[in-house]
Amino acid sequence: MTTLPTPTPTPTPTPAASLGATASVTPTAPIAPTAPAIELRRVARWYGNVVAVNDVSFALGVGVTGLLGPNGAGKTTLLHMLAGFLAPSAGEVLVLGRRPHRDPSVYRQIGLVPEREAVYPFLTGLDYVKFNARLQGLRDPEGAARAAVARVGLVDAMDRAIGTYSKGMRQRVKVAGALVHDPQVLLLDEPFNGMDPRQRIGMMELLAELATSGRTILFSSHILEEVEQVGTEILVLVAGRLAASGDFRAIRALMTDRPHNVTIRSSDDRRLAVALMADPAIFAVELTESGLAIQTSQLTAFRRLIAGVSRTAGVRLLEVVPADESLESVFEYLVRR
Amino acid sequence: MPLIEATGLTKHYGPVKALDGLDLAVEPGIIGLVGANGAGKSTLIKILLGLLTPTSGTATVLGMDTVRETRAIRHVVGYMPEHDCLPPDVSATDFVTHMARISGLPRAAARERTAEVLRHVGLYEERYRQIGGYSTGMKQRVKLAQALVHDPKLLLLDEPTNGLDPAGRDEMLDLIKRTGTDFGITLVVASHLLGEIEQVCSYLLAIDAGHLLQSAPISNFTRRTPVLAVEVEDGADRLVDALTAKGARARRDEARVLVAIDSDVLYDTVRDAVADLGVPLVRIRQERGRLEDLFRDAAPSDVSPAAGSVQ
Repeated sequence: MTTLPTPTPTPTPTPAASLGATASVTPTAPIAPTAPAIELRRVARWYGNVVAVNDVSFALGVGVTGLLGPNGAGKTTLLHMLAGFLAPSAGEVLVLGRRPHRDPSVYRQIGLVPEREAVYPFLTGLDYVKFNARLQGLRDPEGAARAAVARVGLVDAMDRAIGTYSKGMRQRVKVAGALVHDPQVLLLDEPFNGMDPRQRIGMMELLAELATSGRTILFSSHILEEVEQVGTEILVLVAGRLAASGDFRAIRALMTDRPHNVTIRSSDDRRLAVALMADPAIFAVELTESGLAIQTSQLTAFRRLIAGVSRTAGVRLLEVVPADESLESVFEYLVRR
Repeated sequence: MPLIEATGLTKHYGPVKALDGLDLAVEPGIIGLVGANGAGKSTLIKILLGLLTPTSGTATVLGMDTVRETRAIRHVVGYMPEHDCLPPDVSATDFVTHMARISGLPRAAARERTAEVLRHVGLYEERYRQIGGYSTGMKQRVKLAQALVHDPKLLLLDEPTNGLDPAGRDEMLDLIKRTGTDFGITLVVASHLLGEIEQVCSYLLAIDAGHLLQSAPISNFTRRTPVLAVEVEDGADRLVDALTAKGARARRDEARVLVAIDSDVLYDTVRDAVADLGVPLVRIRQERGRLEDLFRDAAPSDVSPAAGSVQ
């Protein structure tokens, strides 16, 4: 794949606008308020001739961001560069203003939940988390470990060996291990994998809560409806390149080459179709089995006129639904170019 | 006759009760099987396959007992396991043909059926290559193909979309749906992704702690509630005020305005209020129950009753 017609990535440090006011939990080691927590400048990473990440630049501030992309797009490579496992082949990776590769002082501010199940089956949940706490040189490993285990709701099982845990529990113990040193930046690779519905809801709430308390969270996922529930900020990688970043609704608005689709159900679809067709903002109306399918290039104009037009036409509006504004549609538009 | 029936099905592993007196009767269709981790889903599947003997109680598949008629059951049941279980160093064609032969098909029939099911799951030229070089999506297709090759009446799929990216998921879900309709067989799909189950399944089985929690058509959970959700670009508060002034029961729920539908005239009230204010209208939609509500302990609020309680 060659150059993607990038819909103007918006690399502004994203404020946690979507998550509301910042709560008062004290983050460790305060950073300069203006510096982005994560920054990539023209970063590339290749393995031999395989280019995993190609010329990627963006910056993230406090809040949750979903990292999306098809399998093999370079998501894990990107997370591993941020965690300091890998050096970029070109460009610069900065976490809290410093290069994480081989710099343990940066590791103190990073929590990573890897995709692989890298947990020792013979350790108890608590021991595993405590082990991480000691690795980070915490003064009170026991206390910190217990707090982290409580945070992910594993207190009842913390004295059992990890080998006896279900997938969802192993996933949560990994999160506890990554949270134990209260890092400023949390990186999660497919954190919802293997979790059951209730655990998923719990994990989403935990991520939202951590974001409101001033952390920067980047998590990869394939389940778009879940990403949408956690937040609206996304980074989309396609074949190693950054296809888009920012609020997915803003990204959608920038896709001016894509007409907006809206479906409508009303008391009299045919009459409404005639009335709508008279307006220049609308350039296609189709009568379908389930109602009307409208195409417009001026979404806001359409949104302003729809109620008035149906009133004038004497038609009752039963349903008005934007058909391609969801994260699912935006993702598809970005990937299938 | 129900396709799958269980009576007082119980399975203990030492002190752990994986299944605890489970009773169920499943009619043909595409059935979603959900439950918390450790609820007993895998144990149930293994008993239905005849791989595990229940501690007490009985289960039947197409009227056949899972303990006494294990071999007969294997002729009519296909199973797609969750974990990666494919040999890396053979081709899909060889592997699926082998599985067909194990199921008792003669050599020629095994070859023909293999070609047919591999085409059905969407593997073409790749089928002569070694499985080790396949992508996750292709491996999932091979797993589905081997489950289908002996023409079963019932297919058990354990997390069929695990590890797939969004495009791969859509394709697999579509394939599951087509398998159900084209072959006219019953599929039991175990999954944690409720959105997925809503999309492909017609019936839901939810088990919790070894018991049956819910057994009902999906439409029971996703039926419309008497609440209209209205979304405007700005001026949600003004809209609430305008609607309240017209006598409607409206309240703000984050970006949305929820209005109780007491009569059809309400639709006109909403339309007129939006038109009068001149605010851009994003969405009008009657609220529906969601499967997720089964797993949320949210307290039902006054205008939006929880879906489960609408009977």
